[in-house]
Amino acid sequence: MAPRPCAVLGIGQTKYKRRRDDVTLDGLVREATLRALEDAGATFDDIDAIVIGKAPDALEGVMMPLLSLCDALGAVGKPIHRVHTAGSVGASTAISAVNLVESGMYDTVLTVAYEKQSEGNATWALSGGKSGGQGAGGTFAPWIRNYIARSEAPEHIGWMVAVKDRLNALKNTYAHLHLPDISVEKVRESPMLWDPLHFLESCPSSDGAAAMVLGNDDIAKKSARPPAWVISHAKRTEFGQFPGRDTVRPQAGVECSEALYRKAGITNPREQIDCAELYVPFSWYEPMWLEGHLIAEEGEGWKMTDAGDTELGGSFPVNMSGGVLSSNPIGASGMIRCLEAANQVRGTAGEYQVPGAKISIGHAYGGAAQYYAMWMVSSELNPEL
Amino acid sequence: MPQLHDVDYTLEYPYTRTTGPVIGPFLTGLRDGRILGQRCGDRVLCPPMEFDPDTFATLVPDLVEVGPGGEVENWTWVAEPSAKHPFDRPFGFAFIKLDGADTALVHAVDTGGDPEAMSTGMRVQAQFRDERHGSVADVYFVPEADAAQQVIEPGDEPVTITEHLIGLRINEPLYPHRARFAQGLLDGKIIGQRSPVTGKVYVPGRGYDNMSRVLMGESDEVEVSDVGTVVAFTELNPVQYYGQTETEPYVRCSILFDGTDQPVIGIDIRDMTVDEMRVGMRMRCIWRDPEERSVEDIDNRYGNIPETVYARFELTGEPDVPADQLKEHSW
Repeated sequence: MAPRPCAVLGIGQTKYKRRRDDVTLDGLVREATLRALEDAGATFDDIDAIVIGKAPDALEGVMMPLLSLCDALGAVGKPIHRVHTAGSVGASTAISAVNLVESGMYDTVLTVAYEKQSEGNATWALSGGKSGGQGAGGTFAPWIRNYIARSEAPEHIGWMVAVKDRLNALKNTYAHLHLPDISVEKVRESPMLWDPLHFLESCPSSDGAAAMVLGNDDIAKKSARPPAWVISHAKRTEFGQFPGRDTVRPQAGVECSEALYRKAGITNPREQIDCAELYVPFSWYEPMWLEGHLIAEEGEGWKMTDAGDTELGGSFPVNMSGGVLSSNPIGASGMIRCLEAANQVRGTAGEYQVPGAKISIGHAYGGAAQYYAMWMVSSELNPEL
Repeated sequence: MPQLHDVDYTLEYPYTRTTGPVIGPFLTGLRDGRILGQRCGDRVLCPPMEFDPDTFATLVPDLVEVGPGGEVENWTWVAEPSAKHPFDRPFGFAFIKLDGADTALVHAVDTGGDPEAMSTGMRVQAQFRDERHGSVADVYFVPEADAAQQVIEPGDEPVTITEHLIGLRINEPLYPHRARFAQGLLDGKIIGQRSPVTGKVYVPGRGYDNMSRVLMGESDEVEVSDVGTVVAFTELNPVQYYGQTETEPYVRCSILFDGTDQPVIGIDIRDMTVDEMRVGMRMRCIWRDPEERSVEDIDNRYGNIPETVYARFELTGEPDVPADQLKEHSW
């Protein structure tokens, strides 16, 4: 039986900030939820099931948050489940919610992802609570150096991505970092954290939540605002360490994008997809994912960045909203990629709208670059490619 | 084989909580010796809630004083209190409907350790602790007849953020394969596990080959060389989080020991700078003297070759291994 078509009907985000000290964790999650309901023209009564996601519990020290958040999410008496796939969780949470609609089990599903990073310390949490932790940047830096060596990319590529995403963020009122005077010089002169990554090539630590209301085709056809049809989605995983693992171009990432494109009939992603929100927490991951997700040939991703193709106004804009480099409430970051892809095809991206965007992708990765979740959205249920 | 230590450590962090527009005033009230409930329609909710539990509507902050007396609706007895319980003697946890409130607050009742003094329907009264921080633990309850009159001095600033040392104690034996790996390090040997399916050698072994999905045990274990090739490195500038003891930058690298198929990651290098490191360089483990070796920090999850067993790694003097031969081992 073919899956029931599923569409994004409402989108809600909080302002992303270093510390949201004006609200509780419940209040933060609630804020994004109410905005998504309002955007969808829905109330809690319309919601059949809820799927939430966040990164490891150790980030805030709240165990089984799906229980304590029930009141804030209007989930009392309704099915709710929680997804956890490390940094990719925001996108895999959204996909889990899509599955519930596609299966025909529920008509309308609320999905919410969040992180209130200021309540704990991510590096502590990712270090297993022990001294001497390596953190994400320290783990990824050698792989980035391998990418640079393999692709012969010039060193300014990372700086360019850092500037581009922060300039895009100036057009997005929800973005955490607003750095109007960002420049390649400033990025290059900022402290070196993990060679080759400078401070300004790294993501911030943010508080924030993101939410979407998803519905089936019957609900979508009655929607007052344009739906974003979820025309394809895929998840793949590989072990973090095994002999022969390619950490620069992980096989799970390649296969995730192959599955995503195959299901939508995409044969030439670079030409058939209008724009992408890719999970880029460190600048160099833009060219690495352009290649690792088959948008560019191997060794060619950095050339797209260098040529300005990935800028707003370029031939393949990436991270129009400012991306993870501008806002990083970890558990929500993947969902933000998904909902910003939906904003583009709904025509609701405001100042960072790609004109006429018809097909867009949202992407997230997590763990030791081993968990992948991607979705493709379109303004039409059956778009011409 | 000597008995190795059990894993025993506490994973803990001083998390903070922002208290928001309803919980903040409630906690401020407790610090100031008052218990507040939140109006919700014609009811008063205590503990207060930010959202109507029936309609899920957002509640406008509207707090009213309740108690200090109340009635026990139901209760249970804690016969053996733990370190984090509010009393060091047996006590009751009870649903307490405070006077003026329509919902029950779960809280602790001190009867001097006597369970016979607890009953459903009993009257209790709030007592405030001398030291109060804007916490639900600022207050406790006693049978009404035992209550003392208290004069509470209110504090200054409203409570907007609270801190909680939340922890989890992990106490378990080392898994057998971890114990054998740790014992090997004490003996100056690096023990790996050879997959019975593929022949690939993993260090440290996990007790299973994740690629072939077979268990690996003592009969699959092999001693591997303590000479290897650097396949990746990072300089760490330690983030000063709670419990961090590192203060200065240092290098951490991955070394593929000769005869193995997967590098050991996270090896600390303290006597070389990042500028001196190269992928492909050949290094040898220089062990500490046997009596100076310790594997105390090895647990079942983290810790590969801790620097408590080696003095340093030094160059062997051999030529570097070309980087393209190491592509498969870039962790």
